[in-house]
Amino acid sequence: MNAPDRYERFVVPEGTKMVSCERDTKIINAASFTVEREDHTIGNIIRMQLHKDENVLSGGYKLPPLQYKIIIRIHTTSQSSPMQAYNQAINDLHKELDHLKNAFECGCNLELYGFIRASELYWYTRLVISTGPQTYVSHAGAGAVRGN
Amino acid sequence: MEGVSYQRFPKVKIRELKGDYVKFELRDTDASIANALRRVMIAEVPTIAIDLVEIEVNSSVLNDEFIAHRLGLIPLTSERAMSMRFSRDCDACDGDGQCEYCSVEFHLRAKCISDQTLDVTSKDLYSSDHTVVPVDFSDPAGYDSSEQKGIIIVKLRRGQELRLRAIARKGIGKDHAKWSPAATVTFMYEPDIHINEDLMETLTLEEKQSWVESSPTKVFDIDPVTQQVVVVDPEAYTYDDEVIKKAEAMGKPGLVDIHAKEDSFIFTVESTGAIKASQLVLNAIEVLKQKLDAVRLSEDTVEADDQFGELGAHMRGG
Repeated sequence: MNAPDRYERFVVPEGTKMVSCERDTKIINAASFTVEREDHTIGNIIRMQLHKDENVLSGGYKLPPLQYKIIIRIHTTSQSSPMQAYNQAINDLHKELDHLKNAFECGCNLELYGFIRASELYWYTRLVISTGPQTYVSHAGAGAVRGN
Repeated sequence: MEGVSYQRFPKVKIRELKGDYVKFELRDTDASIANALRRVMIAEVPTIAIDLVEIEVNSSVLNDEFIAHRLGLIPLTSERAMSMRFSRDCDACDGDGQCEYCSVEFHLRAKCISDQTLDVTSKDLYSSDHTVVPVDFSDPAGYDSSEQKGIIIVKLRRGQELRLRAIARKGIGKDHAKWSPAATVTFMYEPDIHINEDLMETLTLEEKQSWVESSPTKVFDIDPVTQQVVVVDPEAYTYDDEVIKKAEAMGKPGLVDIHAKEDSFIFTVESTGAIKASQLVLNAIEVLKQKLDAVRLSEDTVEADDQFGELGAHMRGG
């Protein structure tokens, strides 16, 4: 009877900001970031990435019970600021996922077309992904990309 | 301090790759990334599934909502899903979420006219878009034609009829499980097994055999030539500590040292057929990147708060 709709778990309502920031009034260089309509999927990866940052003294997240948001709390040294640490963590995660995507694509193509050498495969894969499967016919195209 | 990156560089090695099944090793990354990938594969990779059913005639033994529920659970080939829009975000249609950009229309017409029971299956669903069709589960070898009918929706007797129109939309597993493209997604930590050879030498052959057999899965075996205990399949180890307990019971603690490698995972991904398993993993990485982009601090938030920080105070000469 009181249960909210299922789409409330991931649809941000009109007018609500997705991320908001609140500095801690009593501690310098500490802030809480409230991220709407997210859960452990994002919270845990940001938290683990923050722990790798040397300038972060403490980083954690919680889900307020029965609410569909996360609160990430970051406390840094004076060398950095919580906002910087937060953005840095997200950028690093983004780069890591890009690397993972390339690694997986190369792995898949190696599995399907095992005769291609791994180094050539990287460029061939980039060409195929950017221009579509019709380039399989023309090896000259792949050669041009490699700069032969 | 900008410019210092704490990025990790994950490595992937594919073990098995089939249409709906992929098994791969993921190394040099954190458990949180592995878990996030698993969660996204199950709940946040978009697919297409039937969401609205208009029934014109139903004289079958199942009632309307029963049939509508079953239709929703039929997996549809969803290659288009990543590029499609959600119905709620679509501005091309007049608000009812049924335009050609955000939905796919299906119709089904079946009437039983013979005395034999008519099986209405997913193959009887006709789509308006040939790229979005019910997944074909038939075996390409085709040695048993009776198993190639598709998913049975309802069975009709003589005189019973079913006529309906269905709209399929894009959605995610978080909304309803019918939109989940994953059958099972699991990952395990790769085990690191070291046998203490000196201690192992002090055991008799019978003791070695009983120790090897104490493991519920076949992880160890005795080499018939050298009579030594060897690790035959480390990944069969299920992290039950039976062999360790058995070694302690035999009076030889420390006989084997098994621990999980913290940054090495073995993923098994099985898809329902809506998306190919390898494409499912790639889509999951893409969705995770999109979520991270949505969660970044916007420029004005960052600048407004910088004025109050120590660095900001220093810059202003305070």
